[in-house]
Amino acid sequence: MTAGRGQGRTALAYLSPALLVLVALLGYPVYQLVVISFFDYGQEQVSGGAPLEFLGLGNYSALLGSAKFWSVLGQTVAFAAVCVLGTLVVGAALAVLATRVRPWARTCLFLAALGAWATPAVAGSTIWLFLFDANFGLVNTVLGLDGFSWTYGKWTAFGLVAAEVVWCSFPFVMITLYAGIRAIPAEVLEAAALDGASTRRAARSVVLPLLRPLLIVVTIQSIIWDFKVFTQVYVMTGGGGIAGRNLVLNVYAYQEAFAASEYGLGAAIGVVTTLILLAITVFYLRALRRSGEVL
Amino acid sequence: MSAIRHPGRALAEAVTVVVAGVVAFPLFWMVLTAVKPPDEVVSSALPWTTRPTLDSFVRALTVQDFGRYFLNSVIVAVAVVALSMLVAFLAAAALTRLRFRGRTTMLVMLLVVQMVPVEALTVPLFFLMRSVGQSVPAFGLNHLGSLVLVHLAFSLPFSIWMLRGFVAAVPVELEEAATLDGASRFRFLWGVLFPLVAPGLVATSVLSFIHAWNDFLFAKTFIISAADAQTLPLALQVFVKPDQNDWGAVMAGSTLMTIPVLVFFVLVQRRLVTGLAGSVKG
Amino acid sequence: MRKWLAGVAVVALAAGCAPVQSGPATSGTDETTGQLRVWLFDEVNRTAKEKVVQEAVAEFQGKHAGVTVDVQYIQVQSRAERFKAAFSDPGSAPDVAEFGNTDLAGYVAAGGFADLTADVAAWDEGKDLVPGVLDTAKVGGKVHGVPWYVGVRALYYRTDVFTELGVQPPSTLDEIAPLARRIRAAKPELLGISVGGKYVYGALPFVWANGGDIATKSGDKYTAAIDSPQAKAGIAKYAELLRDDICPPAQCAGNGGDASVENFRGGKAAMTIGGDFNRKSVDASAAAGKYGVVPLPGKDPGSVAPAFSGGNLLGVLSGTKRRTLAGDFVELLAGKRYQRKMYDAMGNLPTFTDVQRVVADADPFLKPFTTTLAAGTRFVPVTPSWAKIDAQAVLPTMLQEIATGGKDVDTAATSAADAMNAAFTS
Repeated sequence: MTAGRGQGRTALAYLSPALLVLVALLGYPVYQLVVISFFDYGQEQVSGGAPLEFLGLGNYSALLGSAKFWSVLGQTVAFAAVCVLGTLVVGAALAVLATRVRPWARTCLFLAALGAWATPAVAGSTIWLFLFDANFGLVNTVLGLDGFSWTYGKWTAFGLVAAEVVWCSFPFVMITLYAGIRAIPAEVLEAAALDGASTRRAARSVVLPLLRPLLIVVTIQSIIWDFKVFTQVYVMTGGGGIAGRNLVLNVYAYQEAFAASEYGLGAAIGVVTTLILLAITVFYLRALRRSGEVL
Repeated sequence: MSAIRHPGRALAEAVTVVVAGVVAFPLFWMVLTAVKPPDEVVSSALPWTTRPTLDSFVRALTVQDFGRYFLNSVIVAVAVVALSMLVAFLAAAALTRLRFRGRTTMLVMLLVVQMVPVEALTVPLFFLMRSVGQSVPAFGLNHLGSLVLVHLAFSLPFSIWMLRGFVAAVPVELEEAATLDGASRFRFLWGVLFPLVAPGLVATSVLSFIHAWNDFLFAKTFIISAADAQTLPLALQVFVKPDQNDWGAVMAGSTLMTIPVLVFFVLVQRRLVTGLAGSVKG
Repeated sequence: MRKWLAGVAVVALAAGCAPVQSGPATSGTDETTGQLRVWLFDEVNRTAKEKVVQEAVAEFQGKHAGVTVDVQYIQVQSRAERFKAAFSDPGSAPDVAEFGNTDLAGYVAAGGFADLTADVAAWDEGKDLVPGVLDTAKVGGKVHGVPWYVGVRALYYRTDVFTELGVQPPSTLDEIAPLARRIRAAKPELLGISVGGKYVYGALPFVWANGGDIATKSGDKYTAAIDSPQAKAGIAKYAELLRDDICPPAQCAGNGGDASVENFRGGKAAMTIGGDFNRKSVDASAAAGKYGVVPLPGKDPGSVAPAFSGGNLLGVLSGTKRRTLAGDFVELLAGKRYQRKMYDAMGNLPTFTDVQRVVADADPFLKPFTTTLAAGTRFVPVTPSWAKIDAQAVLPTMLQEIATGGKDVDTAATSAADAMNAAFTS
């Protein structure tokens, strides 16, 4: 389409359904979320039994002043980092592996991966719990650890959840990267080979740069998803573990908002989570730009 | 023969098969548990059973109104996929092919919006759906329409973001040729661009489908008391009991829930691969 | 730019700068046909409960043409979220619901349940409700639910194990730990006593028997007392049970009441604290025929530790469009005939004086429970804040922190008291 004055209007026409949905169903709730976070908004306020009280930044200062928030935040960052790293490493390694094997083996791998990807989070978490059950789980029977509870210890519980998260999220990374590698024109690789580059050097100097934009996308998506893991933690640790020691931010916000009816505080945690994610992403993109990448 | 000629490849294939086995194992165990007789479910750690039975499936399908829930889940997921593909396609076309003010801002917003924790939005969305329900009951709380609306909203940012790459991959020359032929913008959009972007639409739709299909949170929050508007993930909860979980039925239900997605996946597998690659060329 | 800002301001004004609040809940209509939605709790041995309820539903539908009753069983664990959602959108809420008496104050403050005072006064069976039990259904003098059953807990123990080891049931609270330790030492496959880090109603008698309390009331204000020396002594006694040599934390710290009883049902525990309502399910388990029940002993030999007077009510939600039908259904299901049937099916202790007397005379099993009731029971603070304290899992967190060694009794009790005071004053 030729550039012209009419483009703005056309763009608006094309975008209007999306804008309508996004503004009404995401923009407005996000706005409300921010508003709620400035109020003392509990069950009595919701049902109209008590007047609203504007707290300003009260919920935020209460949150930032609580030791629990900081420990949950630390746990969340560490947990997400492990999940992102695990997902990327496993996904990338298997993507490379998939290019080295014949189609039948690749199909096996992809089918298995698609299966893991297709499993609903609730069902996946349940299956993993069942496999690792203290008394009749297969893993304990095989390892001879009868009665050992994987979900009791803080670290074993986090480890188990992280493993499940990697299991169900590496397929996205694997398939995307595999597709990316396949999309590299054969001539490029041949040219590198003709230049006498070793496989390893070809990988580093030719394939990797071509895959970088893709890697950035899967990394950002993984960060966004893993930082906000909810279902797996909620289901597998029974809502945050013994004495809440397996809480991550998102589950913490849910517990505050729904279980304790502190919707204002829960909303504040949601806003803080978003800001932190935003900061991480911006930081990541900045680092990339410094090394000469653009999104 | 080839194993001898390609020792490296044989090793790689062996590793691939082992990995595939490990990855598929939880699913295998799920199906196995679903067909085990009840007394073997918690007592036998053997990876097979000599007395397979469909009892658990029968329990899952009959004790609860599973068929109804299944249909509800299908309705929601299909409606979300259809609507979001249509809306996202238009938006992606505009964002890649047209130059206008605020374009970059909009792209960044689409990314930012994905960072808001979905769980935190349940409270504002709850009240929004309540007000919607007061004027249009079919889209209010306790109705499937409310689920369609929220999942539509949550699948759009990611879908637009992905589709953008597909639209960008269609050569601009094609468009110019079409314009020279006198095709209207509308004809070009639906007659030329749409079919070319179809693989991308399929790949994207898979992700939207999974999101809507797997949702537990909104189904739990929005469908307050209407038994006839519940979806599958809620139905599964029925078998998780305070005394003795009916693992057989839970696994049978999980299997039934996973199969449609898996079938969908396998059908579009090839397009998914090209699709995901295409999405990043943008 | 200015225009843009003005636009934003207009939108913001239209959208409202304050969060949403609901209006009054009453619907104003009273339909006599259609679907009546009922929420009951899912629980151990639900099939037996379902059978009785089915019978009541069939009877009700037979009497009311054009009415269908839809019963849903909801999880006790996630009840807080479910009820809150229902209160926030009265139009989508069920018409009748079962709920625990500890939640009553909070639910009524949220405007969730209708005033049934007039209904109960006009109901011919209403006058036979045990007055003390009816009091647990009142907030500010108004009845908001019909007591469906009374729940008190006592000590279940395995007679075969006790005979084999030549031991007697404990006669004081302090004897429980040494006894349980001894049993587990002799039979390592058994938990000495099955208790749990989330089993608040199992732990509270220890606090009360030691002279402590959850909170003290002055005027109409509560102050946490869970960090008093007496309360801490009781907590320490209970926490002593959550050790590797009695009930290993890895197995027990995550358990609530149901899971604790479940271990006993599975034949994996020598003792547990269970309710009258658990009896039928234990009869249908590995422990059937080889268990006995005694009141949970108090500090001194022969005394009984004050039990928590639990119990569930059936209430009518304020937003119902079928107020009369809902009231009728409550009176049917919570009435004498169906309480008797529920007793036969589940062992739930009835709430009517005469029905209680009849079943107690006919069934010696009930004696430990009626003795416990007669010895005097206690209750949680009657304030809307309690629902919040309960939902925040303040006491379970305290018990779990002690059990896992994360905090000592003093620190854990102090932080629990702080959390409770924050809820009382908010």
